[in-house]
Amino acid sequence: MGLSYAVRREFEYTLSPQDVISDPVRCRAYECDGLTGYRVIPDLVLLPRTAEQVASAVRVCAEHGIPFVARGAGTGLSGGALPVADGVVISLARLKRVLEVDPVNRRAVVEPGVTNLEITKAAAPHGLYYAPDPSSQQVCTIGGNVAENSGGAHCLKYGFTTNHVLSVEVVLADGSVVTLGSDTGEQLGPDLRGTFLGSEGTLGITTKITVRLLRTPESVRTLLADFPSIAAAGDVVSDVVAAGIVPAAVEMMDTLAIEAAEEAVHAGYTVGVPAALVVELDGPTEECDVQFEQVKQICERHGCTRLHIAGSPEERAAIWRGRKAAFAAVGRISPDYFVQDGVVPRTRLAEVLDRIAGMGADAGLRVANVFHAGDGNLHPLVLYSAAAGETERAEKLSGEIAELCVEMGGSLSGEHGIGTDKACSMPKMFTEDDLAVMRRVRGAFDPRGLCNPGKVLPTPRLCGERPGKYKPHPLEESGVIERL
Amino acid sequence: MNAPTDLRTLRTAVLDTSGRLAVAGAGTAAGWGGALEPVDAVLDTTGMRGVIAHNPGDMTVSVRAGTPLRELAAELAPHGQHVAFDAARVAGGATVGGLFATADAGPAALVHGSLRDLVIGVTLVLADGTVASSGGHVIKNVAGYDLAKLVHGSYGTLAVIAEVVLRLHPVPESTATLSVACTLPEAAELAAVVLGGPYEPAALEWAEGTLLIKVDGTERALPARVERLRAAVGGSTAEPDIWERHAALVRGADGRASIRVGVLPSRLPELLGALPRVSTTTAGLGTGVATVTVEPDAVAEAHRLVHEMGGTSALRARPAGTDAPAWGPPPSALGVLRAIKAELDPKGRFGPGRFAPWM
Ligand SMILES: Cc1cc2nc3c(=O)[nH]c(=O)nc-3n(C[C@H](O)[C@H](O)[C@H](O)COP(=O)(O)OP(=O)(O)OC[C@H]3O[C@@H](n4cnc5c(N)ncnc54)[C@H](O)[C@@H]3O)c2cc1C
Repeated sequence: MGLSYAVRREFEYTLSPQDVISDPVRCRAYECDGLTGYRVIPDLVLLPRTAEQVASAVRVCAEHGIPFVARGAGTGLSGGALPVADGVVISLARLKRVLEVDPVNRRAVVEPGVTNLEITKAAAPHGLYYAPDPSSQQVCTIGGNVAENSGGAHCLKYGFTTNHVLSVEVVLADGSVVTLGSDTGEQLGPDLRGTFLGSEGTLGITTKITVRLLRTPESVRTLLADFPSIAAAGDVVSDVVAAGIVPAAVEMMDTLAIEAAEEAVHAGYTVGVPAALVVELDGPTEECDVQFEQVKQICERHGCTRLHIAGSPEERAAIWRGRKAAFAAVGRISPDYFVQDGVVPRTRLAEVLDRIAGMGADAGLRVANVFHAGDGNLHPLVLYSAAAGETERAEKLSGEIAELCVEMGGSLSGEHGIGTDKACSMPKMFTEDDLAVMRRVRGAFDPRGLCNPGKVLPTPRLCGERPGKYKPHPLEESGVIERL
Repeated sequence: MNAPTDLRTLRTAVLDTSGRLAVAGAGTAAGWGGALEPVDAVLDTTGMRGVIAHNPGDMTVSVRAGTPLRELAAELAPHGQHVAFDAARVAGGATVGGLFATADAGPAALVHGSLRDLVIGVTLVLADGTVASSGGHVIKNVAGYDLAKLVHGSYGTLAVIAEVVLRLHPVPESTATLSVACTLPEAAELAAVVLGGPYEPAALEWAEGTLLIKVDGTERALPARVERLRAAVGGSTAEPDIWERHAALVRGADGRASIRVGVLPSRLPELLGALPRVSTTTAGLGTGVATVTVEPDAVAEAHRLVHEMGGTSALRARPAGTDAPAWGPPPSALGVLRAIKAELDPKGRFGPGRFAPWM
């Protein structure tokens, strides 16, 4: 059907003609995010330059009942920024000013299009940094991070985006502007800030964000350790935790992931070992030294076959280069891949990885693993070749892995979000009542459902009447209702 | 009075009563927020207690919401784990649900935030009997909306919190507190030195002419760290019970109103200097959050001053017989708050009056 000429003119009048893209060829650049399997060419793409323009554009949408999708850098991995048919995309890319760095109060105020890394760069001269560090931090925007409640390797110790955002200015679906949260994190009533964080663009568009900054730690110690099995590496993680150590990061890679990373960046990992662990500690020098010694001993106790300690910032950077390259590098050992983001309780890591290996073998597909071992957030990469007709099998395996995580007492997603990708799997994790309450919350923010519709919550139209997997309802567990 | 013992009986209690309901925990904050309007029944959560599942290896625990946090702490202690949270009311037997619903926090908020940063899962019962959960036993989880955040600070007005899953932290091997006698402005200067240096304080509070700086760490490393800190700011090592005295000040005294205020940390001394008729003050110099006791008739003026400085304020203790206002000017998102209330509790059953006059 498409949006009318009159509506387009109204957007052009509200912004300016060159800030409204209607040429389908140019609109195509916005047809998908990092989950490229889903594509929809939007009718219009709006490129506002100020928060006021965002609000004005949303008011036009509200007036005409036009659905809109906010977009940051488009690096999302769950189809959150996938356009909707007959709707507009509102890109926040031009709102990219760092409005304030306040070293005394250790805060920064930024516009949503600022990249994650730019915040740290702006804070660095003051000895401060912004803690959540998604691997995509050079390009992804803070607005996208807020929407996804993004995590990163160092979130085990320091927490996720939600723990670092004090307040957000939000344009609601009716075009009104509100501030959620406060300068201190204190609340006047329910934590609407926290409700908005991680809502994947479905509750409004954030146009200004106040984040906490942390002092750069005095010391950082990093090691890379090889192990004869995933189980042994997993035991190290458990023992480190049991020793009362909270590492800044604990990352694990398996044979395939190591092989891919080494081929891509030659970071000094040992090709062929079953498992490698990256452990990083930070904090006051005295504490780091004591605990680093303990970690080394724990590694040795579990049969570590090689212990490489970063002796310089360059060596540390190399270790991280290998870890962070692993994702993209998988492209070198396989023409195509799907990435999953399920979470399992840390104590079940070895068991789950074993099951995943078995499922991969059954499906005749290889699965590479590179993940945040400290918090149980897996990133299984299902390798396949579309040319060889393996897509469907790979997609099925990938979905089964996510659902396995839920069965193990975990979650469908640790940081990439539900988006379009996993909306139809939500009934595996939530009861109909859980989802109904989430819909009510959504309705309170956006009664007409204009704001990023079709994401996060399953709809019959998108998912069909797919029956959920059996999961005991809380009332069933406590005996109120029974299912025979 | 209704006294459910678990999720099932809680749901029954909500459905079996009609009309307006108040949720009551241990009663340590019964007078916080707006004064409760008359209700038809009170739901006493203190019968819903006990750990549902503690997973020491994963450092998570689920509890019934009526469990006093200090009771939970005692159960976790043998595992060397704790909830990194130290609101002043904990010592008085406050329940996990009550602490959560009132968005309370103590000095540890400097590092660990408030309970909203530690709760990773929640099960709620709505006014129509709907049971809804979000989150679970994993610390990292972005699936669906975070319903826990919605009830953090909701003062029992949106849903009854039935169960809560908490993220745990290791109990530090060793802890020390340095105390420095100084005025509030001097304390603010010292706080800037501490926060600007490599000291990583676990808490940083000024109260009654003393700056308290707490550091947590390992037995081997801590003494050297404390020495470094002392070289930078002076002072002497305090007994651990100094924090109990601090908590007592936060709890306040009978007959006085107590308000919790929050403002940019750099503006806190100025704000506290401007508040009228204050008798005691505890000030979090890193967090910007302070609790003051004032004469009841000075509360309205205090709200106004805090608001003018861009801060937040909420009444804590309200002396009997006074009608000090609980809240200052409403937040800009009042429309959203009202809409959420209308969606989750359309008949206005839960906690009438708590957010008066806003809703
Ligand atoms: C190679 C690679 C590595 C990655 N590593 C990580 C990682 O380590 N950890 C991690 O958590 N994620 C990771 N991601 C995923 C992705 O980078 C994050 O989800 C990121 O936060 C998305 O930011 P973006 O600016 O690209 O947002 P987009 O993809 O443009 O949008 C994401 C969602 O946010 C919404 N949105 C965007 N801006 C706003 C706004 N201003 N207001 C409201 N909603 C908005 C969109 O509607 C959409 O739903 C990775 C992605 C890639 C490609």
